[in-house]
Amino acid sequence: MSTPPKLSFVARYSLTLSVLVFLGAALLLPWVGAGTISLARVLRHQSPDYDILLQLRISRTLLALVAGGALSLAGTLFQAMLRDALATPYTLGISAGASLGAVAVIAAGWETFLGVPMTWIGALTGAFSVLVLVIGGAFRQRQISAFSLLLTGIAINSICAAFIIILSSFAGMSRSFSIARWLIGSIDATSYSSLGTLAAVALLASTLILTQARSWNLLAVGERWAASRGVRVASLLAQGYILGSILVAGAIALTGPIGFVGLIVPHLVRSRISPDHRILMPCSFFLGGALLALCDALGRVVMPPAELPAGAVLALIGGPYLVWVIRQRVPAEEI
Amino acid sequence: MSFLLEVEGVSFSYGSRSVLDSIAFSAKEGEFLALLGINGSGKSTLLDIISGFRKPETGVVSIGGRNQRQWKLREIAQQVSHLPQAIHADLPFTAEQLVAMGRYPHTDRWFESVEDHECVRAAMERTSCWTHRHRAFQSLSGGERQRVLLAACLAQNASTLLLDEPSTFLDIEQQLHCFNVLREEAHGGKLCIAATHDLNLALTYCTRLIVLSDGMVAHDVRTTQAQDNNDWLAVFSSRLNMGKTPAGAPWVWYQ
Repeated sequence: MSTPPKLSFVARYSLTLSVLVFLGAALLLPWVGAGTISLARVLRHQSPDYDILLQLRISRTLLALVAGGALSLAGTLFQAMLRDALATPYTLGISAGASLGAVAVIAAGWETFLGVPMTWIGALTGAFSVLVLVIGGAFRQRQISAFSLLLTGIAINSICAAFIIILSSFAGMSRSFSIARWLIGSIDATSYSSLGTLAAVALLASTLILTQARSWNLLAVGERWAASRGVRVASLLAQGYILGSILVAGAIALTGPIGFVGLIVPHLVRSRISPDHRILMPCSFFLGGALLALCDALGRVVMPPAELPAGAVLALIGGPYLVWVIRQRVPAEEI
Repeated sequence: MSFLLEVEGVSFSYGSRSVLDSIAFSAKEGEFLALLGINGSGKSTLLDIISGFRKPETGVVSIGGRNQRQWKLREIAQQVSHLPQAIHADLPFTAEQLVAMGRYPHTDRWFESVEDHECVRAAMERTSCWTHRHRAFQSLSGGERQRVLLAACLAQNASTLLLDEPSTFLDIEQQLHCFNVLREEAHGGKLCIAATHDLNLALTYCTRLIVLSDGMVAHDVRTTQAQDNNDWLAVFSSRLNMGKTPAGAPWVWYQ
């Protein structure tokens, strides 16, 4: 008697639940904020309720959903690549590169180029410069390994952090404050065209990552394990790094470096739902988006009329959680 | 009878350090080869090359008479299953999920089919770990983990099994069980190659001993003839001697 393929049932159940949470966040959280919005006035297109909901609340909620999903999926991806549940988009230096690019632009006082915010251009340029440096540094003898990616990423992180400190020191009071504000990471209302671009990029990169979910399972066990089950490890690692970087760079360009969402959500889904990347990855995307949108909504209502940046709210939740994860962690042993 | 695996003139080096130098041997279905040699003799590297994980600098590996370079990695995975020496013990996957990964090279389905589950169950029952199927791999004991990993190799349903020190960290009973399963697989028509340091396990269960030394195949002897000329023992230590068990089987002992 065969074992029924339970995985499909678990997948369907948990995926459906994650999608419902994501959709629930998209429908409900725009209504949460310092001021109450009247549904009746919105339906009659009356200002200011209609404009606040449409131009501010919906766009920032959607931005949080997409950026949170992208960062969470990137965290899951990097954890599989490095076989470390504590790896995040920040571990491999991409976030530091994006931050350095954006900080350089803020320090220089550049604001827009052809209508596009220069922080976006700076963040994307920084992220992709790091991508080239890390991939180039990690390739040896036409091979690439997770370990060399990790070491190169750590080195790049330190270099970028040093440059950020130097730029902040010479930027002057006003620009230093802007740099500090950007580095916390926050969700602000954005244009629907920017949102559409991020959503399209995130959808494409996420789909390409998800189609290789079985290979991420194999890589999460080990490089030899994956190779002996038909995976071209070097190619997969390079693809993962590039696609993960695209997700992180796209999200960070619009939100700033928001931490922990790529750590908390994958860890929760892995331990509570399934470590199988066919389930873990889509669930992480949907729940990560919902968590960041929730943090942003909390930031709007905790100290009205002031708003706490979503990055700060997430750090307040994520910091203690990270300590808990480290305490729970059993040192890796090899058999 | 044609050879299932042919290794001809394979060389490999890590930077300037040569590890394998013109390795050559061939093996047929039904054989159980022990790959022997001291630490650093290139056993794991040779298994990596046969499994397709590493490319040889020179030489050719043929599987089923076809040059390995002509195979896609996935095609090799359908023919060759490899159990690496070190697998992280803190994997979050359940035992069943890990064994089911052995089915990946055989299907493009998003989730495993009923037939795949049958195959996974058969492999896990074969290595007596079916009862642990829902447990996380990291919660298993060393012996239980090794049974699960062996089941993952069996579930791959490959014609050649490569095992890198499969009995390390196992107690005597588990070691015997592991090698017994491999011998049965060989009797069933598969080719098994196990890198091991346990000479007595090799003499008891394997049909041939391939001894690597200085990057070359120093000795290639049938187990039944290993007693007649025990020069191969000198590769390991000058303190080794060979005797017989009360049952007449060869046995290596040290002074």
